[in-house]
Parts: sequence; structure tokens; C-alpha cells
Amino acid sequence: MDLRKIKTLIELVENSGIAELEIKEGEEFVRISRSSTAVQHVYAAPQQHAAPAAAAVAAAPAAPAEPEGHVVKSPMVGSFYRSPSPGAKPFVDIGQTVSAGETLCIIEAMKLLNEIESDHSGVIKAILVESGQAVEFGQPLFIIG
Amino acid sequence: MSECYAMNTAPKPLTLALLRLLADGKFHSGEILAQRMGVSRASVNNALHGIEQYGLTLYSVRGRGYCLSKPPQWLDEAQVYAALAAQAGDFQLEVLDSAASSNTLLLQRASQHAPSGSVLAVEWQSGGRGRLGRTWHSGLGNALTFSLLWRFECGLSGLSGLSLATGVALMRALQSVGVNGARLKWPNDVLGAGGKIAGILIEAQGDMLGPSAVVIGIGINLTLPQQVLQQIDQPVSDLSQIATELPDRNVLLATLLRELAKVLQEFSAKGFAGLREEWENAHLYQNKPVQLLLPDGTVVHGIVRGVNQDGALLAEIESAAGIQPEMRVFHAGEISLRGNHHAAD
Repeated sequence: MDLRKIKTLIELVENSGIAELEIKEGEEFVRISRSSTAVQHVYAAPQQHAAPAAAAVAAAPAAPAEPEGHVVKSPMVGSFYRSPSPGAKPFVDIGQTVSAGETLCIIEAMKLLNEIESDHSGVIKAILVESGQAVEFGQPLFIIG
Repeated sequence: MSECYAMNTAPKPLTLALLRLLADGKFHSGEILAQRMGVSRASVNNALHGIEQYGLTLYSVRGRGYCLSKPPQWLDEAQVYAALAAQAGDFQLEVLDSAASSNTLLLQRASQHAPSGSVLAVEWQSGGRGRLGRTWHSGLGNALTFSLLWRFECGLSGLSGLSLATGVALMRALQSVGVNGARLKWPNDVLGAGGKIAGILIEAQGDMLGPSAVVIGIGINLTLPQQVLQQIDQPVSDLSQIATELPDRNVLLATLLRELAKVLQEFSAKGFAGLREEWENAHLYQNKPVQLLLPDGTVVHGIVRGVNQDGALLAEIESAAGIQPEMRVFHAGEISLRGNHHAAD
């Protein structure tokens, strides 16, 4: 099981609010559990590469969410911008309350400026990327609590 | 006239109304102009004072009145609709004297449910934006700037390659009005005669899964006057450098809208993949040795081999001597011909 996959699983657990997730793939298994201190414990048995599996993960029952934070991820490859133009006021700042549908940032991909809207209402707890930085598909951008 | 004018002052509505009356290139007396506008002669004089800042030449002759030398062809909704003919019903066009940015205004209207096919054409923009907030400069009547709203069923992630597709539409439109010397530069600049002739800026709003609203802003230089050229910090050119005859501005706008609609429909159906070959054929740097300045400041050297179905640049990048060059995919960067830091290739 590669690191990227484990990272994805950790994010999945974080976002879904479930307390613990265990996945077996042939010889390998990983268990991700959330303790009250919000530290993730990852157990992985380093074995042979297993075939991709774990389609059933998405069906995990949603438990009442802890006040952790919703992670807004980049929907595309591009450059991340916090404000509509250089020197302008950022769309959002840490501590600001946003509602779903509000613009959080712009991601530019080949002269296409995509206004990224919040898919969640709450308070901006963290901004994980610097303005002007390149971002990958699925990269966490904001945490909204 | 010895006064100094700031370039970023929007022309007054009276000024534009008077300039429209002067579009015939003939002399009009101040008195008659004043009468037609319902203002005093002094107001006419005031409104036409300092018009040079917009790249226009106005003769003011005692006893004869005012005359515009090489009067621009002003945008006219009725003429654009007439040129659109059967496709006129696909667009809702509005011509504005001035706006801070037609893209910003149309994005606002998009969120108030403006229909797909809405067009804002602007005679003068104060805050036209290029990529990374670079200001788009234009005088009066010597460029064409407009924005088109288009709605897609797909979400933002389905729009990759759209900015290149728009470049294809521009090329088709230019060819259709008899201008053949233009080429594309990745991702979507239109170049000709050693400089940038047109720029495209696309802004998209919407959900990941759709639908999405896209505003395509286009600026094309027709005949840029010297004083405007000097304010632009990159090599620029205009259509007059590569066209034997300058296209009628209203016909050019109609042709662009028609070709954009066609390309956007093709894009909806097949994505950028169906337009990719046409784009590569129009690319100035196809199979050329280039250097690529990446966003992190590093420079790589290689040979452009094309673009992928998302519109990302494919280039064979050289590494150490004796090692096979490696094909890499680029989503960002500024291309220039090898050994030439500016785009004036």
C-alpha cells in the first residue's frame, strides 16, 4: 500500500467523522483511528504490493462529526491565488465565517481562472497553501470548522 | 495643448456621444454639435479637449468646427446583429461606452441568471485584466474588447483545455475575415508580427460536478497608437500589422461570436481532444526549441511537441548530455524561443 493511498484514507477518515477505519488488501492491512487528541495512528504491515481494492470504504457509516474541520481540496492542477488580483484583499482570511457557495480562492490553470467556492459553511480554521503556489489535484487548501 | 492627462480616466458619456457624431470624418461645427447634444458650446469644447489621450486625432479649426482624423468605427448593436444573421438569436449583446472590466461585470450578471450567450462589448475599459492582474490597455476605437458568458453542463474540472479551445476560435475568426498571419502561443496568446495581438482571459464559476458558468474575455488590438504601445510592458502588435485590410469592427465581433459559439459547442461535445490537432497546427512554437520559465523561477530547455487533451504543454526536456530527452507535461510556465527572453520572436 503506497503512502499516497494511506494519505487519502487518512483524509477520508478526517472528513467523514468516523472514529476508526480498517482496510485489508491481501496480506496488508491498515487501521486508521482518531483519538480525542486528533492524532492519527497508522498501522501498516509493509508487505508485497496488493491489488487496488477497498471500494467499500465509501459506504462507511457517518458518525456524529467531531468539531474537526472540513477540508476543501483542489479540484484541479494549477496555481493557487487567495485574491482576485495581486495586491487585492484576499477572498477569505483565517477566522472568517464563510457560507457554502462563497468564493474561497482562485485556481488558475492555463489562463482559466477558476473561482473555487466553499462546499461547506463555517469558520476558516487554516489556509494550507501560499498564494501563487502550484497545487495538485486533491491537495487540501482550506480547513473549515 | 499642454495639459497632461492620466490615461486611466474613463471618457465622459458626452465625449463618446460627440465622437460618434464625428465618426463620418467630416467637419461639424461646435454650434451644431452643441445643439444636437442639448449642451453649451463650451461643454462640447470641454468634452473634446484632450481626446489625444485615447489615441485619436481631432482637428479643431476656427470657423469650421471639429473633425476626427481616421475616425474609428464605433461598435453598434444593430450592425453586429445584422452580421450575425441567422445566429443573432443565440446572443444577447450590449455595447457599453466604458466599464471597469467587462469580465467582472458579466460575472456579476452570470450570478444573477444572465443567459448563456450574453455578450458585453466595451468601447473603453479602465480595469481590464490580463493574467495575474496585468492591466489590459486600450485607447478608443482601436481595439476590440468584449466578454461572452457561456454555460456548461459540466463542472469546473471538465473545463481543462477551454482556454486553448478559445484560441482556436480566434484563429478561425481571423482567417474568416481574411487575416492569415496570426499564430497561437501556449496557452492562448495570439501573436503576429513579433508581438501579442490578442489576449484571452477566462473566468469560471460553478460546482465541481456542474453546471458551470464561464466568462470569456477577449481583447484584440486593431491599430494601437504609439502612446498606447509605449504603456505596455511586453512586445505588442496589432491586426493592422498582419492584415492587408482591417476588418470592420462590428463584423469582426460578429465573426468572433459565431466562431466562439461553434468551438464552445464542439468543446461541450468532445472536450479539447477534438480541437487539439488544429491548435497544434496553429502553435508558433510547435517542434521548436524553447525555454520555459516555470512558476518557481526555474528555466528548462526543450522542444515543444504539442499539447495533451487537457491543453497542457508537452515538451521534450533535455537533461544531462548523453541522456535521452524526456517528455514532460507542463501546466504552467512562460514559453519563449531559445536564447530569447522576450516573447518577440
